[in-house]
Amino acid sequence: MTSKQNILDGIRKNVRHDIEMPDIDAIVPVQYEDSLSKFVEMVKFVGGHARMLEPDEDINDAIRRNYPEAKVVASSLPYIKADKDPDMVQDAGELADVDLGVLEGRVAVAENGCVWIPQTMKERAVMFISQCLVIIVDRNDIVSNMHKAYEKVSSTEYLYGCFISGPSKTADIAQALVMGAQAARDVTVIVR
Amino acid sequence: MKVGLFIPCYVDALYPEVGVASYKLLTALGLDVDYPLNQTCCGQPQANAGFESMAVSHAEHFEELFKGYDYIVGPSVSCAAFVRLNYPDLLHGKHKCESAEKIMDIVEFLHDVVKVESLPGRFPHVVSVHNSCHGVRELGLSSPSERNVGSYSKIRDLLSLVDGITVREPERPDECCGFGGMFSMEEKEVSVKMGQDKLQRHIDTGAEYITGPDCSCLMHMQGIAKSGKYPIRFIHVVEILASGL
Amino acid sequence: MSTRHSKAAKSFLENVERSEWHDNTLWGVRVKRDRMSKSLPEWERLRDAASAIKRHTLSHLDEYLEKFSENAQRNGVIVHWAANAEEFNAVVLDILKAHDVRKLVKSKSMLTEECEMNPYLEAHGIEVVETDLGERIIQLLDQKPSHIVMPAIHLTQEEVGELFEKELGSEKGNSDPTYLTYCARESLRNEFLTADAGLTGANFGVAETGEIVICTNEGNADMSTSVPKLHIAAMGIEKIIPDHKSLAVFHRLLARSATGQPSTTFTSHFRKARPGGEMHIILVDNGRSRMLAQEKHWETLKCIRCGACMNTCPVYRRSGGYSYTYIIPGPIGVNLGMARDAEKYHDNASACSLCCSCDNVCPAKVNLSEQIYSWRQELKSLGKAPMTKEMMSRGMKTVFDRPALYNLALKCSPLINAAVTCSQAVSLHLWGKGRSLPEFAKESFHSMWVKGKVKNDK
Repeated sequence: MTSKQNILDGIRKNVRHDIEMPDIDAIVPVQYEDSLSKFVEMVKFVGGHARMLEPDEDINDAIRRNYPEAKVVASSLPYIKADKDPDMVQDAGELADVDLGVLEGRVAVAENGCVWIPQTMKERAVMFISQCLVIIVDRNDIVSNMHKAYEKVSSTEYLYGCFISGPSKTADIAQALVMGAQAARDVTVIVR
Repeated sequence: MKVGLFIPCYVDALYPEVGVASYKLLTALGLDVDYPLNQTCCGQPQANAGFESMAVSHAEHFEELFKGYDYIVGPSVSCAAFVRLNYPDLLHGKHKCESAEKIMDIVEFLHDVVKVESLPGRFPHVVSVHNSCHGVRELGLSSPSERNVGSYSKIRDLLSLVDGITVREPERPDECCGFGGMFSMEEKEVSVKMGQDKLQRHIDTGAEYITGPDCSCLMHMQGIAKSGKYPIRFIHVVEILASGL
Repeated sequence: MSTRHSKAAKSFLENVERSEWHDNTLWGVRVKRDRMSKSLPEWERLRDAASAIKRHTLSHLDEYLEKFSENAQRNGVIVHWAANAEEFNAVVLDILKAHDVRKLVKSKSMLTEECEMNPYLEAHGIEVVETDLGERIIQLLDQKPSHIVMPAIHLTQEEVGELFEKELGSEKGNSDPTYLTYCARESLRNEFLTADAGLTGANFGVAETGEIVICTNEGNADMSTSVPKLHIAAMGIEKIIPDHKSLAVFHRLLARSATGQPSTTFTSHFRKARPGGEMHIILVDNGRSRMLAQEKHWETLKCIRCGACMNTCPVYRRSGGYSYTYIIPGPIGVNLGMARDAEKYHDNASACSLCCSCDNVCPAKVNLSEQIYSWRQELKSLGKAPMTKEMMSRGMKTVFDRPALYNLALKCSPLINAAVTCSQAVSLHLWGKGRSLPEFAKESFHSMWVKGKVKNDK
């Protein structure tokens, strides 16, 4: 017998109950009247920056103004001026020197500052290996809570996707909070 | 309404004045109170130590003793909680456990059943309330700090009826004092450290007295206070409520 | 009267400064957790739902596992099943060998600790690099985690500074956490770039989609899997949940309970292998299916490993992770250890004052204290009941079963007071240092009542 069969048989032999699935929709989750300002508040709370794209402001100018020092910019977004394209690199390691990665988020969550970023590029390492990140979010994609967020995510196809909430952080040394453990040290969400 | 007064063994032996205060207060409130003789121990210490089966005969004895009463009321939350929550299991398969439905800690009885609205006494002192674990998390005398439920305290409600009293609560208002029955002997060092920390937080409120609904927590902290010569006194909630009687 | 836990706790407490730091720091995490839980009016409903979803899923675990594995395979993921730790380690080694892997980067996984995977792989010539900062620190020290979420919580920044000076060449005497974190960042980036494979745990496996979900703050699970082409995920079979709807509930609870954050920084959903890559999921039983049959303990399997029970436990905070003999400490560890091997891990059952705080923080509502209580009842039949406790209980029973004897004994209580005061040895043995024994009253309530003193004392 295979291990799979052994395990499944063991479960069937040992389960003592037949318990129904609860009605998750019965939970009334928090809804924010102004989910945009709650989202901005929470991005800052989790250590990120959030700013609005002005009506006639150019996105590339906005990014430059926020990260004037960035030498190597990587993005696969067609409207972003970049030095490297994660779609075009042979190997993820080629992104190791990226100062700034520019990504698009599809869902933004007001309750926790999370932004959903599915892998649309060949090498998703750009989401993590870049020293700093700019995430572009459409204001119509902001939802109040995770229930709504997963509703949206469920209707899409992805091979990989990540909710990112601010910069990489750790408190593993003496519980002192430090931004920039392994992934991006600095994250700016631009809401357009 | 016939009330059977339950005086747990260690209250009987170490803190009889708490029993006296309970009796006086309940009778002063016009209740018909009796103290059935031959009470001993509810069995909690043995059961918590892992010898639940040794508590079964105590549960049987308790059931027999308190048969004819409408309520069983005692001044010790953990004993009351043990009767309410564990007796049905101990007597499972033998007969229905009636005590579990009738048992009440005296604070919840005064608050929920008698619904005391005024008290004659005066206690012009600063007290720090000790929220005993089983009072908070098993009997619901106050809202557990862990839970997102509205904040309330039956102990504070009652104490606030006493003239002249100032009621405070320590930081970490319902962290365990470290008694835990035989835990206090098996894990001596942790138990003492928990007690010392708790005691210090009570003292930091500026209180003259630590008061609570369970003499076993007070006993534990009293032992530490005595050994370390901490400047604080101990009094059961019911003694304050009965002051002036 | 003592256990291995109580003895270890005693020595932990001897370093007053460190033990008080440990207590205060973890209490601080509990406070943050309280603040987060109170910011959501629906918090208690979420806990109810999480418990109910887990109970449901565990009671249909076979169906959900099959569904999960079918969907994962449909996504092109290679699914393996491992009945125990040996099989798990062997499967990992086989995959690594087939890809000629020499260096493996891994993110935090308590399952691999449970299976003692690292030493196994190292014995077979594979270099294993932990990439969670806390795990990396204890790996360099050749230690085990002392907390499941904060594995290096027992160490001071000075100790980490000294370690990094030796291992990573950091500046002598510099123990600034930001500086040290950046040193590790540099060193680990090099490891990610030169590793041949990445291994992760899994916080959740979603049956409906066949994906696994991993929550980290550092992004190390993602670094480990976005540079090397080969990804191996190790998942205990109890991590399965039905769907995204359920995932939303757990997501909202996990980080808030664990560290008091509204979300972990990264919540990564792995559904398919990267373009040109390969993804494996190993489903591990290792005693879990057996636990389903333990009527009083099966709900331990609801645990989502947030560590909140440790942070709130007054005993854990004052005794540290290493005082427990099982790899997972604190209230959940007492129970998981007992469920795994009660004879081996019975010493941890003493580490509980039954304060029930853990029950009230647990996001999946595992009845932790009730289970510890019931494990204590089972020690006798295992032949592991502490003798002194049993003798005392028996003595109490003898007296309390005989009210007349009990009342007679109380008449002698002034003698007992005197005897105990005289015998420092007895007092110290049972009650320890720093605490005086209580004194018996001159007259018991019972005696006063019988003499009519209670009624007449107006």
